[in-house]
Amino acid sequence: MLAIETNNLTKKYKDMTAVNGINLEIKEGELFALLGTNGAGKTTTIKMLSTLIYPSSGVAKILGNDIIEDRQKIKEILNVSPQETAIAPNLSVKENLEFMAGVYEVKNKEEKINELVEMFKLNEVLSKKAKSLSGGWQRKLSIAISLINDPKILFLDEPTLGLDVIARKELWKVVEKLKGKITIILTTHYMEEAESLSDRVGIMSKGNIMEVGTTDELIKKSGAKNFEDAFVKIATGGEVE
Amino acid sequence: MRTINFAKRNFKEIIRDPLSIVFAIALPLFLLFIFQQIKIPNEAYNIENFTPGIVVFSFSFITLFTAMLVAKDRTSSLLIRLSVSPMKAVEYILGYIISIIPIILLQNVLFYILAIILGLKFTISVVFAIFVSILVSIIFIALGILIGSIFSEKASSGISSIVVQFVCFTSGMYFSADMLGETFAKVCKYLPFEPAVNIIKAVMNNNYEFVTLENVIVFIIYTIISLVLSSIMFKKKMTSDNK
Ligand SMILES: Nc1ncnc2c1ncn2[C@@H]1O[C@H](COP(=O)(O)OP(=O)(O)O)[C@@H](O)[C@H]1O
Ligand SMILES: [Mg+2]
Repeated sequence: MLAIETNNLTKKYKDMTAVNGINLEIKEGELFALLGTNGAGKTTTIKMLSTLIYPSSGVAKILGNDIIEDRQKIKEILNVSPQETAIAPNLSVKENLEFMAGVYEVKNKEEKINELVEMFKLNEVLSKKAKSLSGGWQRKLSIAISLINDPKILFLDEPTLGLDVIARKELWKVVEKLKGKITIILTTHYMEEAESLSDRVGIMSKGNIMEVGTTDELIKKSGAKNFEDAFVKIATGGEVE
Repeated sequence: MRTINFAKRNFKEIIRDPLSIVFAIALPLFLLFIFQQIKIPNEAYNIENFTPGIVVFSFSFITLFTAMLVAKDRTSSLLIRLSVSPMKAVEYILGYIISIIPIILLQNVLFYILAIILGLKFTISVVFAIFVSILVSIIFIALGILIGSIFSEKASSGISSIVVQFVCFTSGMYFSADMLGETFAKVCKYLPFEPAVNIIKAVMNNNYEFVTLENVIVFIIYTIISLVLSSIMFKKKMTSDNK
């Protein structure tokens, strides 16, 4: 079964088309990167796929479940790390994890929390209030929280936006650990992030998916020397060489 | 229980930002004290009559800070996370209500302690009055959720202040509504605040002449309407905020 399948998925805001009839097929266990500049429609795509907003038209299925009809069921099997860090500011790191474990009614709560603390090395900040943490730690916590319900599908919206090089590399390591175990859809506008983490990349521009493939395929197809050039060529439709 | 889990989180948020509770407790306490010092020749200010008024007055501050809590939550990206989760609108509303009840209880206990110091006779009716007050407070929490769902955090505090003023004028706590004319008195009877005061007054004094069946029915209808409206609005705004 496909993890995600979309058919002409579209989102319009008044006369502005944020996502323009996209067709995607993402396999289970795949790490798929949506790469595109600001305003390309990545976040809007993720919001539709994660039940946050309704599409204007088109169909999408998550592990065979329709995103509109089977909303409630889908909510149990996916999770999102939103573009803006999403944590409860006045709660400690531990309390944040406990709170979200409660929201998902996680059975083996303590065990799960310990696992995530270990994985994201959150031990040293465990009793600190979330709002007092640095951006890097907050992002780590936000991503850790999104794993609390053992999602089969995880959306990471610009997970390393605004992080310094070291924090970014650390997060990459964590994402690599998850790779293959669950399906991950990651959005980014950093080429090297898409290149080093993903199995396949979908290049988005102005609401359209321009090309989908492995980075090698995309380089070959566009006839560029490297991935960055390939991206520019594809995203601009060949107007910028 | 997702509701309790959410209530626990709200409660922590509230007590870790305690300025608003201090206000909701200190100001009514101060008023209760002051008005008992100056002897006003008006029955409304007898401790037996004035204490229930102060309780209802203090609830209007609960509206204020519930509205601000909800409005703040709405703008935080935490709500994106919660909107993706399987939590339902009812669970949010109940979660908010339950988290505020301990504060209501604290308010009430402090008011009655002061009232007793100031000469109110302690009877078992006072304990019953506290229980009834908790039920009465639900409409004020629901109004807060409603206001917080519609307006921004800043606007919420302004709108809620109107509720505070409204309670002052229409609850009969400072003066009997008759003083502003027949029409005004009639209107007050069909608003929830005077009935709220009457209900608590009746229970506290164990004297059911203070309240009419009509009062009770009016009050229950308003409570139900507020609960339903706040649920609908909260849910509606939650999806449209994410757009
Ligand atoms: N709520 C909204 N109302 C109107 N336009 C929106 C809204 N959300 C997003 N857009 C527009 O849709 C386009 C795609 O936005 P977005 O999906 O956030 O892009 P990305 O995540 O790739 O940067 C942008 O032009 C943005 O301005
Ligand atoms: Mg985005």
